[in-house]
Order: sequence, then C-alpha cells, then structure tokens
Amino acid sequence: MTDSKKSVSATLAAATCSLLGSAPTAPVQAQEEPSWDFNTALLYYGEDNDRVQDLSLNILGKRYFVDDRALTLGLTVDTLTGATPNGAIRQGVPQTFTRPSGSSAYTIPASELPLDDTFKDTRVALSAAWEQPLGRLWKTGVGFSGSFEYDYTHLGLNGSLSRDFNQRNTTVSAGLAVARDEWDPVGGTPIPFSPMLDVGDIGNKTGTETKDVIDAVLGVTQVISRNLLVQVNYSFSNSSGYLTDPYKFLSLVDGVTGDTITRVPAPGAEGPSHEFRFERRPDDRTKHSLYTQAKYYMGGKVLDASYRYMTDDWEIDSHTLDLRLRWPLGERSYVEPHLRFYTQSEADFYTISLVDGVELPAFASADYRLGNFDAITAGLKYGWKTRSGSEMSVRAELYRQSGTIPGELLIGNQVGRETYPDLDAIILQFSYQFGW
Amino acid sequence: MNKPLLASFGIATLLALASGCSTMGVEPWERDILARDDMQLTADPVEAAIDDHIYFSKEASSGGRGFGGGGCGCN
Repeated sequence: MTDSKKSVSATLAAATCSLLGSAPTAPVQAQEEPSWDFNTALLYYGEDNDRVQDLSLNILGKRYFVDDRALTLGLTVDTLTGATPNGAIRQGVPQTFTRPSGSSAYTIPASELPLDDTFKDTRVALSAAWEQPLGRLWKTGVGFSGSFEYDYTHLGLNGSLSRDFNQRNTTVSAGLAVARDEWDPVGGTPIPFSPMLDVGDIGNKTGTETKDVIDAVLGVTQVISRNLLVQVNYSFSNSSGYLTDPYKFLSLVDGVTGDTITRVPAPGAEGPSHEFRFERRPDDRTKHSLYTQAKYYMGGKVLDASYRYMTDDWEIDSHTLDLRLRWPLGERSYVEPHLRFYTQSEADFYTISLVDGVELPAFASADYRLGNFDAITAGLKYGWKTRSGSEMSVRAELYRQSGTIPGELLIGNQVGRETYPDLDAIILQFSYQFGW
Repeated sequence: MNKPLLASFGIATLLALASGCSTMGVEPWERDILARDDMQLTADPVEAAIDDHIYFSKEASSGGRGFGGGGCGCN
C-alpha cells in the first residue's frame, strides 16, 4: 500500500468513526499485518466537599483486518463513592431523611446543604463495533453497547453508513442508535410525588422501570485545505419512559415562610423530620443538537475547536465551546492546554421546593443538573512517545460549576439562604497507547 | 429557537456544506498533514469517551460528536 492510500484510509476511518462514537486510535495499519492497537486510561474524578469520587479504568482495543475492516472492543470499570445533593433545601434546624433503601436514616446538620452519602456503585461498560468498506466509496459500521450498575442496566445497538464524494474530500455520514435502559433502584422505585416514608415503610415503592432512547446523527466531514478539516453534525435524540431520578426529591414548604413543613415519625419509628416529595419528570424528552468541529494544523501545532448548541422540549438550551491546542515539544513530546466553556438554562419544571396546600404542578425536580448554571474546564495534558513507539500522557483538569436560582423560585426565608450547589472537581488521567 | 426550525436549519446547513464543498479539498497526494494522528477528529477516543461520560453525568446535555456509552449518570 502506498503512503497516499494509507493517508486516505486514515482520514476516512476518522470521519466514519467519529460518528460511530468509537473513533480510530491510529491510521490504518499495513494490510498484510493484522494487529491490535490498545488505548488505555486510568482516571480519577473527585468533587470537593466529599461529593462524588470516581476511579475508572478504560481499555479500548482495535484490531485491523485486511481490506480496512476493523473490530473495536471497549471495557470501562468505574467505582463510584461519595455524596450528592438529594434535592431538599437547607433549614435552620437539623433534617432527617430515610435512605433510598428504606432500611435506615441520616441526619443533616442545621443550615447545611442536604447531601445523600449513600452512593456506592460499580459500573461496568462494554462496547463492540465492527466497521468495513462497502465497495470503493461506502463504509458501514455496526456496534453494541452495554452498561451495568447495581441499580441500572443499559443495552444499545448502533449502526452507521457513510459515503465519500469529491475525491474523498467530503464524507456524508448517517448513524442510528437505539437503547433500552432499566432502573432497579435500591429499595424500589418511588412513586412520583409520593411522600418520603418512615424507615421500613415501602408503601410508596414499586418495581423496575424502563426507558427507551433513539439517537440519530447526520454529518458532513469536509477537507477544506491541506491543513484544515471541518465536521458538522446534526443530532436528534428521543427518550421515553421513566426519565425521573428515583433518588431525588423536593422539600414541601410553607407558602409564606418558605420553610419545610415539619413531620413526626410514627411512634417508635425512625423517619423523616420534614415533608419531602419524590420528584417527577415528563416521560418523554426530545433533544436536538448542532455540533461543529475543526482541526487546524499550524506549523506543527494542532488546534482542535468545537462548538455544540443543544435544545430540548424541557426548555433546556445549552452552548458548549471546547478548545485544545497541541503544542509539540521536540520530536517526541507535546503539551496540550484545554479550555471548555458550558452554559445551560433551566428545565421548565425545575424548582427548588413544592408549596404545601397548593395543587402540585404536573412535573417538578430540584436536581441541580436541570438548573441554570455555567461551567468551565481548564486543564493541561503532557504526552510523550517511548522509544518502542508507545504513547503515554498525563492530564490534570479542574471542572467548576456555578449556578443561580431564579429569584421567582425563592419563597420567604429561602431568599438569602438557598444558593445553587456549586461544584469544583478535579480530573486526573494517565493514558497509555500501545500496539500488540 | 423552536425545534422544527432548528432541525431544518441543521439539515439545510449539512446540505449546503455538502454541495458547496465540491470545490474545496486537496489532491490525494496532499494528505500528509491530514493523515497525522493528531489531525484525526477524535485523536484520543478513550479521553473523548471519558469526557462525554463525565459531562453527561453532570450536565443536562450530551452527545453531538457521536453516541454515548450509557449509564444512569445519576449522581
């Protein structure tokens, strides 16, 4: 195979795989030597104030066969611990909550943001993808994805088709993915808007719930010049079924003071000190997004810039700008600064509390991730090539979320007391790529 | 922006790009830079998947580049 043919194959592989969600690890290998390329990473993700911590091992192996066919297999193992906001508001007095399992309770001191520290989970994710050319200009791919947690299972299939035009300078791609996910929460799935009950009382819990997801992507990848490549994708995503978070709830408050209504557990029982209602989200969500990415080579340095606009029928709009600049340091190493800016508006049913004695809204959630916030990521990666041809890199990043609660959602004493649960997290990663 | 309008805009942009691009590009022997590992759209697929999963778990948006790998992302 000549060098120019190899180059074409590499570019095509990149264009197709970016749509598949499983991208190439390296330009296509010499056809006569089927081989594996491994791309591995160890990740630590840690939030401040003892919130979520994740240690994650990731392995992606890609085996090349003759005629540009390739098999990609992926494995991810995550171990999650830590606390996360449960949705309740702060109070001037301690608050007691029944754990999701229903088997015990926990108490949050006065004036502190209520966090549930119950979370401990292991997630195992598997993926497999097969890609191959169909004739001279077409390429196709099929894939499977599965993700398994103690309380959540995801199973998905995806497929893609692409065709080259214009001397392979233009690639038009289409992809489709379907998935079925199943919730089996610890202690059962709470009935939406049902009250939190005493320890041992499972009268408000049901069994498993499912959701179905359909994703479609249409994209064009275009070589603009010898050193500029651009991609534009339009994505459609529809989720239907149980979209509520079974571990999140809202405080039921007095309409004048804004304080949470107090509650007394049954005699001899342990249970919530205040009135809490499990959240309820719509059972359908449709998202549209427009994503564009450019890769620009500037005398050895490579700029990777992308922008995504997303909007959905929960009235969330978001903008994401991502910039990376790979700056070579000699022949074998590089540094890569990374900046990411994100902003989103709140869902139309986002609120921070429910008012006692008033008819409940159709849907409500106090999940901070459905609120109005901005986020910034700043980081640096350093990578180097070993003498044997393997590649290693380390990266350190800081992720910061800061949000605001719309003033019209605050009632009485909540003004000045309730603030968005801002978040700081660090991301540390070591990566190792090698051939086999 | 309303949803059907966005969808139409997205598809129209793709079509315009596809048709307008027929005059752009390079000759086959000019692809040396485009074939570099660091010029691939997803230069590091594992890092891209890690980032997608982190932001999927912490923000209300996801996707754009391709398909996600699943998971509840619930905490």
